[in-house]
Amino acid sequence: MNPTSVRAVLASVDSCVLVGLEARRVEVQADASTGSVVFNIVGLAATSVKEARERVRSAIRNSGLEFPRQRLTVNLAPAELRKQGSGLDLPMAVAVALAMMRKAAPPHSAFLGELALDGTVCHIDGVLVAVRWLRRSGFERVFVPAVDAVEAALVGGLEVIPCANLAGVIAHITGEQPIEPQATTHPPFESESEAAEHDLNEVHGQEEARRALEVAAAGGHHLLLSGPPGAGKTMLARCLPGILPPLGLEEALEVAQVRSLLGDLSATKPLDWSRPFRAPHHGVSMAGLIGGGAGLAQPGEISRAHHGVLFLDELAEFQANVLQALRQPLDSGHIAITRSGGSVTYPARFTLVAATNPCPCGWTGDGRRACRCTPAMVDSYQRRLSGPLLDRIDLKVGVRRVPLDALASEPKGESSAPVRERVVAARRRQLDRQGCLNAQLKPGRLRQLASLDGASRQTLERWAEQRGLTARGFHRAWRVARTSADLDGSDQIGERHVLEALGYRLTDVAA
Amino acid sequence: MSPPDLANLRARGRWPPPDGPRVAIVGSRRPSPYGEAVAEQLATDLARAHVIVVSGLAMGIDAAAHRGALNSGGFTVAVMGTGVDIVYPAAHSRLAAEILAAGGALVSQFPDGTIPRRQNFPARNWTMAAISDVVVVVEAAEGSGALITADAALHLHKEVMAVPGSVFSPLSVGTHGLLRDGAGLVQNARDVLAVIGYGGEVLDDPLLPPERLGFALRPERDGILAHLSDVLALSAADIARKLQLPVSEVLGRLTALELDGAVRRQEAGYVRALRRGKERA
Repeated sequence: MNPTSVRAVLASVDSCVLVGLEARRVEVQADASTGSVVFNIVGLAATSVKEARERVRSAIRNSGLEFPRQRLTVNLAPAELRKQGSGLDLPMAVAVALAMMRKAAPPHSAFLGELALDGTVCHIDGVLVAVRWLRRSGFERVFVPAVDAVEAALVGGLEVIPCANLAGVIAHITGEQPIEPQATTHPPFESESEAAEHDLNEVHGQEEARRALEVAAAGGHHLLLSGPPGAGKTMLARCLPGILPPLGLEEALEVAQVRSLLGDLSATKPLDWSRPFRAPHHGVSMAGLIGGGAGLAQPGEISRAHHGVLFLDELAEFQANVLQALRQPLDSGHIAITRSGGSVTYPARFTLVAATNPCPCGWTGDGRRACRCTPAMVDSYQRRLSGPLLDRIDLKVGVRRVPLDALASEPKGESSAPVRERVVAARRRQLDRQGCLNAQLKPGRLRQLASLDGASRQTLERWAEQRGLTARGFHRAWRVARTSADLDGSDQIGERHVLEALGYRLTDVAA
Repeated sequence: MSPPDLANLRARGRWPPPDGPRVAIVGSRRPSPYGEAVAEQLATDLARAHVIVVSGLAMGIDAAAHRGALNSGGFTVAVMGTGVDIVYPAAHSRLAAEILAAGGALVSQFPDGTIPRRQNFPARNWTMAAISDVVVVVEAAEGSGALITADAALHLHKEVMAVPGSVFSPLSVGTHGLLRDGAGLVQNARDVLAVIGYGGEVLDDPLLPPERLGFALRPERDGILAHLSDVLALSAADIARKLQLPVSEVLGRLTALELDGAVRRQEAGYVRALRRGKERA
């Protein structure tokens, strides 16, 4: 008899580890062989994975399974990939159990899950991300923690086995007691009545800012609201998600992926059709806003606002370097962050709504209260906002305070629903014509797809010359003019569209 | 604060100035087009009558006063809160050079090399009052520095006068307060000249309003222009509501007027621009 055949008890199970919104396949091999009784994990496992040794041992014993009283080695391949997180507990335990039972793992299957000492399979973050990647990589079945099964099933196109405990998983594999796969269910689109938390009909007056909000929603343009305290800037910003079209399935999954990574998805209703609205405080750190942390960077607020709205109130109070870091995502729609654990890229295609007081005291331009700031103070305050960030904001409008006593007499505005209809129509025109929103049009395609007639070009050039516009500013005004024409249902940009676009350039000063 | 020592003023240009009455014109650093136009027109008319126009070289009313004096080739004195070798704000370097070129003077009680410091400006305001016979205030909000100059003038037994403004404007609060307390009413340069014993009888006719902008405006835009004020900023939304037009259209039309220089945009709205005596440099 070949001595190795007696000794070799080998099983192999597939899993994966996350690298940002991507994943890498990990093959978990368990080998029980003669020798002193030890349990080793090899294959560049981080501390969180090494700790799995105790969890796996207890979970197997407490599940009524045999734990090898032999030399047990678990190898995580490929060895060059650093593995982190607790999601490898379940595949390790299954590999060990299968090795002892001399059984093969089911084909094209992957396992994800953390184990408690009693064998319960517990929640892990990022299941949605992992399962989407597994489906793309050709896996047909995935075993996930039961609490994460609804989330995993959102992906569709592969079988999701909800795992309550280790014993149940083994019973399913051996065929003793099969587990019912989790069915894919997408929540229905929310009905109009419960859609938006804030409706535009709660905003009195402010027609200019309302229109700017509509233009921002239609073309994906960033927006700056400038006005005294209590003018309703926050209220206006909160109305923006309600006039945006609901997320599409792919978009909703992208939003859910980021939340999944952060462990922030609801177990019962992981998919949400409404646009994210994130409003970080002005004390937010660089890591908090754009992403970061030790090892591999975690997504920040800008990625949580993906496909939605990022609202920065009191813009001048944010740290300058934090605001500077917004430039890359504002241009490209994603953010690449490198930390000790490697480099990751997260999506960050958001609509920025920034709000600011016009001066330190806030009352410049208010009709009823005089501003007490010196011109030098106003200058230095506005300089803190100016430059590269402001240059990337297409729409800048002043918001006036409506005094409390006059509030009642201000006309009630249109509600969000009809505004959203116009926004949806204007967006459809853009997507049909160019496959992206106007705000994302590159200058070359802008010239090609959004030609200006003589008068509109002249007007735009005259303004650019008068106000010393940068090339970037020039193209931004042009894109807004394209959106104005789209809201108008017009194929050709007219002079009135250019003029409207220039009306949203509050901070351009005469050169 | 005590009266400054006028013997130790540092100066560039001709100092002491030629004999003649001196009138200080002071006011808001962020005036309305109305205030700016009044200050400029007053200074032009006073300088034409050989009055020496004194002001502080600051933004707004001060600059308008200096420019107005220069428009009629007058002698004007800028009393500075910095050393005479440091022009503040720096944007007024050219104005300071023009004042000197026209035979005027820059004076300061501070040593050369003194940079702008908040606490120096009230003392400068006292000096302005001390070297003038009359202080005329044009547009001053509550707590404005121009009111310090007026206060100094009272302590130094100089005449204080004020130009009335719109009762809706915060910039009128200070000037109307002065008028209520007995300051002389200024409607035109003759009101000021009468106080300093120049000229004869004071007629109650208003200052000649500056010409409106002479640009050819397209007819549909005139409609909007008529609803704008030269004192109060109106937002595009205000006008759209008044004319019952879509705000996007009104915004576009206002922008066209802005391009033509017929309206000016301020933080919270639009004001009608008034034609200036001489186009700004």
